[in-house]
Amino acid sequence: MHTGTTNQVANPNTVVWNSPGIWITYLLTTGFMHLILLSMPWFTTSVSWTLTNVLHGVCMYFFLHTIKGTPFETSDQGKYRYSTHWEQIDSGTQFTAARKFFMTTPIVLYILASFYSMYDFTHFVVNTLVLLLSLLPKLPQLHGVRIFGINKY
Amino acid sequence: MEMDKPWIVAEAIQSALQAPFYHFILEGLLVIWILRLIFSKSYKIHQKETLTKKEKEELVGSWQPEPLVPPLEKTLAKTRPYRLVSGQVGKNIVVDGYKCKNFASMNFLGLVGNKRVEEKIEKCIRTYGVGTCGPRGFYGTFDVHLELEERIAKFIGAEEALIYSYGFATIASAIPAYAKRGDIIFVDEAVCFAIQKGLQASRSKIVYFKHNDMNDLEDKLIEQEKIDKKNPKKAAVIRKFMVVEGIYMNTGQICDLPKLVEFKFKYKVRLFVEESLSFGVLGDHGRGVTEHFNIPVSKLDLVVACMEYSLASVGGFCCGRHYVVGHQRLSGMGYVFSASLPSLLARAAIEGLNISEENPDIFAQLRQKAAFLQDLLKGIKGIELVGYPESPCFHLRRLHPVTPEKDLKFLHDVVNKCMKNGICITVASRLKEEFLSEWPASIRIAVSVEMSEEDLDEAARVIRHAVEEACNKCKGS
Repeated sequence: MHTGTTNQVANPNTVVWNSPGIWITYLLTTGFMHLILLSMPWFTTSVSWTLTNVLHGVCMYFFLHTIKGTPFETSDQGKYRYSTHWEQIDSGTQFTAARKFFMTTPIVLYILASFYSMYDFTHFVVNTLVLLLSLLPKLPQLHGVRIFGINKY
Repeated sequence: MEMDKPWIVAEAIQSALQAPFYHFILEGLLVIWILRLIFSKSYKIHQKETLTKKEKEELVGSWQPEPLVPPLEKTLAKTRPYRLVSGQVGKNIVVDGYKCKNFASMNFLGLVGNKRVEEKIEKCIRTYGVGTCGPRGFYGTFDVHLELEERIAKFIGAEEALIYSYGFATIASAIPAYAKRGDIIFVDEAVCFAIQKGLQASRSKIVYFKHNDMNDLEDKLIEQEKIDKKNPKKAAVIRKFMVVEGIYMNTGQICDLPKLVEFKFKYKVRLFVEESLSFGVLGDHGRGVTEHFNIPVSKLDLVVACMEYSLASVGGFCCGRHYVVGHQRLSGMGYVFSASLPSLLARAAIEGLNISEENPDIFAQLRQKAAFLQDLLKGIKGIELVGYPESPCFHLRRLHPVTPEKDLKFLHDVVNKCMKNGICITVASRLKEEFLSEWPASIRIAVSVEMSEEDLDEAARVIRHAVEEACNKCKGS
């Protein structure tokens, strides 16, 4: 991306999750969303925790595993045109710090949501499904895989 | 389960201890996964093979460093010494001390050394200085640039034009600005080196078709259409382009533009035409190959040309619709990251356009003179003439080629003999890596409108004599 004479990479999407302060920002944003849900009087604690987990998982799936390419023009001649954001992180290198962070946060949220929902069965089903939705696409075996050709181009 | 009672910590902890068994297992597995994550090393997907120590030592031991500078023989060809030009180049040129008539410089409209242009340039230097010291986006845009862009757009009949400061970089930046990885470009085999570099930079899939062979191109387009039918989702995101030249630098032939426009609309392929040698040459008003074939410029996607030939300036331009050309103002690498055209050269180009507009009959004269010279040279034995009959830039090849080295020597002999007799022509110099197929060596002749009939007669006579001598020398040896 042409940002003048700054130290540039061809595709900033590959390095954005290594920028200073961005993990804290991410956690604070998730926490803030949770506080908003918690402050709604018609949601009980369990429901708001499960809802946090669900919203986090669905948003993560959408932003990291659904939308492809970049919203800005890159100078690498469209190398990542068909790659999701998850595949772009660190240019496809597996198990880097940013990727480990993203694999850990759904798990932590899941454990917290299970605890706060008192291990109720319905909540368990919903939370586990969302956990699978968050974790499975991040496995290195599913890097670049498009099941049934969905979202390929 | 909707719970209306307030949430109490003690209750929560109690239910945690009484949680279902499967849950404990699941959470245990998850914690193990987190621990595994913490201790796993990062790796790139394609680099998972690990080398043993012995293999590493072997690889290190067998590495031979390449020299920093390749051996001199490869860079400076001893068989092709550079000729030294003294003084100003124009209709006459002084090469290696020999005074010759200039049939090597592509000064088609005779604008090199034009007094009117020189006057305007001098005034321009006094106003603006020489260089612009900046790219177009960073204090390098002067009113002469904007004026030149407007004038070119109006001259060609396009909506907008864009100026580059280096002719080679024009097409080499224009192609990768639109074509990216995954796109397909259909291109003629005989395109010039600048286009080849642009294609390489685009990282797209390149499909070459035989030189000027519209049937071959159609076959390739139909093949691509079949592939597209099998995978319509992929086809919807692939962009297809065709790149051709108006008059090809390497062969002097003219492209079949009506057929290309027909293919453009039939197979939905974008058409880029590189008009360096046809701008200021073809057409009643010199507008290029579109005027020659009477096709409106709006039917083409991009017209690219180099101002270093007919306009006798430096740099190049791209013109087309605002929607297309405007993209290059941020994505054309040569436009964004190079200093803009020096004002005096922009002024020279504007003056060249003025002269073209005032004397529209020089174009017909130029073509007539070119046809005249081509007629005279066609009859020479031992030589084959390649090029569109009215093209002022055409090639002479050996009629019965022997080996590439001997043919090159033959042509050099012809050029040297001509030079000694007062006619300066040149062997078309090429890089070995440039060629996609084995093109024979050739002499490239450029006719200027300044040449009179006597000059053309003299040139034909000298060339004929030189070719005969070279042929006799070959037969004798």
